[in-house]
Amino acid sequence: MFTAAAESFLRQARESREEELRRFAARVSALLQGPEAGAEAVDGLQRLHLTVAATKYPRQLNGKFVELLQTVLCSPKSPEQIQVLCAAILREMSPCNELILSCDEIQDTKLLSLVSSVLLAQEDKGEVAAVGQRVVKALEKRLPEGQSARFLLPVLANVISLSPASLTEEQTNVVSKKLADWLRYASIQQGMAQPSGGFFSSPRTKQPAPITEVDGAVATDFFTVLSVAQHYTQDQWLNVQAFSMLRNWLLCYGGKELNTLHPGDKAGVDRAVTSVVSTAGPRERLRDKAFEYCQRLMEQSTRRPLKKDDGDLQKACLIEAVTIMDIICKQDSSYVCRAVSSLQMLHSRICGDATYARALLPIAQFFLNHSKLAAVDSDAIYKHLFTDIPAQLFHNPSLAFEFVQFCKDNSQLFTDSSSIFRQSFPNLFKFLAWNSPPLISEFVDLLPFLLDPGTAIEIFHLLLDLPCLTAALDIQLRAAALPASERARADPAGKPGTCLEAFRHPLYKGLFQHLLRTTAAPQDAPESLVPLRLLLGSLAGSPRVVQCAETVPVLLELFFRVVAEFADGSLINQLVVLLLQRSDQLYEIPAFKEDVYRVLGSQLAVLCGLRPALLVELSSEILEFSGAVSNLQSKEPIFTHMVWAVGEYLSVSCDKRCTVEQISRFFESLEAVLFEITQLRPQACTPGCAPRAISVLMATLTKLAARSQDLIPRVSMFLSKMRTFVQSPAVTSVYCEEDLEEILIRATELMNLLKMPSVAQFVFTPPVASTRLQREANDSLPVALRMVTELLEPAPGSVPV
Amino acid sequence: MRLQGMCGKRESGSQGQVAFQCQLLQSSLGRPSSPQLPWLRDELMSLQDAPGGLFQMLPGDPFPEQVTVVWLSVLALAFSLVCEPQETLSLAEMTLRRLAPRLLLSLRLLGPGIDILLCPDATDGLLDHLLPHGHMLFLNEHFLQAMDRELGIKASR
Repeated sequence: MFTAAAESFLRQARESREEELRRFAARVSALLQGPEAGAEAVDGLQRLHLTVAATKYPRQLNGKFVELLQTVLCSPKSPEQIQVLCAAILREMSPCNELILSCDEIQDTKLLSLVSSVLLAQEDKGEVAAVGQRVVKALEKRLPEGQSARFLLPVLANVISLSPASLTEEQTNVVSKKLADWLRYASIQQGMAQPSGGFFSSPRTKQPAPITEVDGAVATDFFTVLSVAQHYTQDQWLNVQAFSMLRNWLLCYGGKELNTLHPGDKAGVDRAVTSVVSTAGPRERLRDKAFEYCQRLMEQSTRRPLKKDDGDLQKACLIEAVTIMDIICKQDSSYVCRAVSSLQMLHSRICGDATYARALLPIAQFFLNHSKLAAVDSDAIYKHLFTDIPAQLFHNPSLAFEFVQFCKDNSQLFTDSSSIFRQSFPNLFKFLAWNSPPLISEFVDLLPFLLDPGTAIEIFHLLLDLPCLTAALDIQLRAAALPASERARADPAGKPGTCLEAFRHPLYKGLFQHLLRTTAAPQDAPESLVPLRLLLGSLAGSPRVVQCAETVPVLLELFFRVVAEFADGSLINQLVVLLLQRSDQLYEIPAFKEDVYRVLGSQLAVLCGLRPALLVELSSEILEFSGAVSNLQSKEPIFTHMVWAVGEYLSVSCDKRCTVEQISRFFESLEAVLFEITQLRPQACTPGCAPRAISVLMATLTKLAARSQDLIPRVSMFLSKMRTFVQSPAVTSVYCEEDLEEILIRATELMNLLKMPSVAQFVFTPPVASTRLQREANDSLPVALRMVTELLEPAPGSVPV
Repeated sequence: MRLQGMCGKRESGSQGQVAFQCQLLQSSLGRPSSPQLPWLRDELMSLQDAPGGLFQMLPGDPFPEQVTVVWLSVLALAFSLVCEPQETLSLAEMTLRRLAPRLLLSLRLLGPGIDILLCPDATDGLLDHLLPHGHMLFLNEHFLQAMDRELGIKASR
């Protein structure tokens, strides 16, 4: 492959020294100033260009040489290739201090375009304005024979995107008038082929043929970008250029004219524009022609193209036409009625055709912008867009991207919780489930708009099941692709053998339907999706599913962050219960589960901090969860954070309803767990629990004992046994030395603290922190523990109190 | 609107993104990431099945405004068009699918040569026609053929 050779060549160019470059430039200079700048000069310029372009930092070329490049560029004697290369080098060096270029004297339009490309790269508004002036001047007059305005319009398009203020109102009026003419009055006959041969082979002059439509029929109306000819005339090229820059032009200069009020007009009266009034200003006239052009494109897009690729252009033209109509209506509301009827007809024509789906987005945008003014009910359009399209076309990555952009651009629509937009969130997630990598950052922006107290629970489930959704969508696609004869006939009595069979099987059909639903259904959740998750386990390794799974942790964290801002006590409690339940019901992808546990664990701690009372209100669920050693082994992060939260918040100071009995119940349950995992079993292969879990269990038991002091002796005795635990051979083979030492140190500190029960109570039962200062004080618990330990067991040589 | 070549100064950051997105797409489709055998010229002119996609880049590095990147992968090469917010993405995809094979052919990118590095004039010539001053054109197939004739590209249809 070319890469290796290219890489080394590029490196050489980058590493060439200044002296080498100077000498080479001098050689090229001599060649350029010689009688015939030939192939050697071309070669030299090409290498120079590479050298200048290859580095990120600007390369210095001799000022005289740069001047020479500009002279050669503008000289009519220079061959075109040389001119192009000079321009390329000058552009590469932009912005350039030694520029003497000016476009004022250049008559040749192609050269003017080339020189403009250098001037516009200077990042100087003055240069941009100068180019703009020159181009408008050239367009105003009749161009000399052989010159074409075709090369000037793109320059103008660049000028207005860099600096719209470059043109005066008078100049924009001149151009608007020309654009309107080019759009509406281009020749409707085909151009002639350039005559080849010579005097003896000149063909008999044929009548020029009329232009045709993309389906071969003779053109019925004026020329547009969808008109077909074997050869094109200059004004037909200008028609294409004009339409291609029309949107930007209207956005910059299409606003209402300042002096269009005629005597007799009442201010604010809508004028039905049915004919072009001869006194209409240039902008108004352009709007009118542009509108007509867009309507013509809409008619032309119904035709079946002879060439397949023209079909793609028809769709792109349709999107552009609708967008331009939207802009025109924003600038002049008298067009709204006509536009509405055209677009309603267009919508009914294309809404059933999947290949036109992308065009539905600008149509919906139009109605969102204008339907109120037109008093038109466009709910059916939105419903179709949000209910049908994502379900059918989630697998089209371009549509998926544009659809999500549409949602982001109209995010205010999602604030109304009863609207079709908000209710369709299950459908929207299908885009993400299928096209995860390009859409994850878009969904990070979109998710906050979808969340509210009514949707939070359903979205929580949906996020945890997102990779399942990917698998289900895969099955749905494959099932749809089966020929009718092969569609699996479900045997209700038997069990389905494959996922495809299960898709229509009564046992699974309802579960699939729920997962693949198009609108929110908080009340309709089936008993459990567990059987479906198990069934789809065979797809858990598929790349698309794995990619989707990787997006879930990020979305989960965002979910909790947003929900924390509005959740009330009841919702927080619901989430905690669900969190504990769902931790057992996740799609079987090991890395996915680990990441989800990590997020759920830390978020569980946050929720408990937000609402410590839940420890008391949900004590039975939490007791059940934290009393099971299996939970510690399979979901360590969640378990550990739960136990930590019990230690932090299960106290009378957090909730007056907390009783001594409750504290004792938790104590006994956690004590049993700690006992279980620190038992020294004769079997050699005891799986080790995370050392962190042991530390947290010890700390929590200590905290609980500090609040119910007759538990202190039990804890102290347990903690004193930890020395034996960490020193036993069965344990030293499983844990590393640092971890064991940390466990021992922590056990010792806790024991020491319990020797001073009132201090312990103070340390372990801080007031519920409501300010940042208080929270920071709480975070310094380990430091406090160390301080107390030093008090009790001062190290030799330490400063006495 | 910018087409990214290998030497673009601001563009190298987004090219890294394109390579990443391309890898992810290929892996999700279950395709091998190594290039297949060189295509026939005819197949090359229409890249309907070539992997491609769209993604957004936030304002910052390397572009000061928010941009959308349209990319296309052909064998071991990636081409991308950087679009401003109001540009029509379906036209950008079409333009890229037309540009890529023409660049591949004119610059002989499939061969062992280094023409892409040493022929900025050829690249500029192509871009000047299909993306003059970085602006897209609504070209139907016949206009495209007329343009190919001007460029001297012989594309069999």
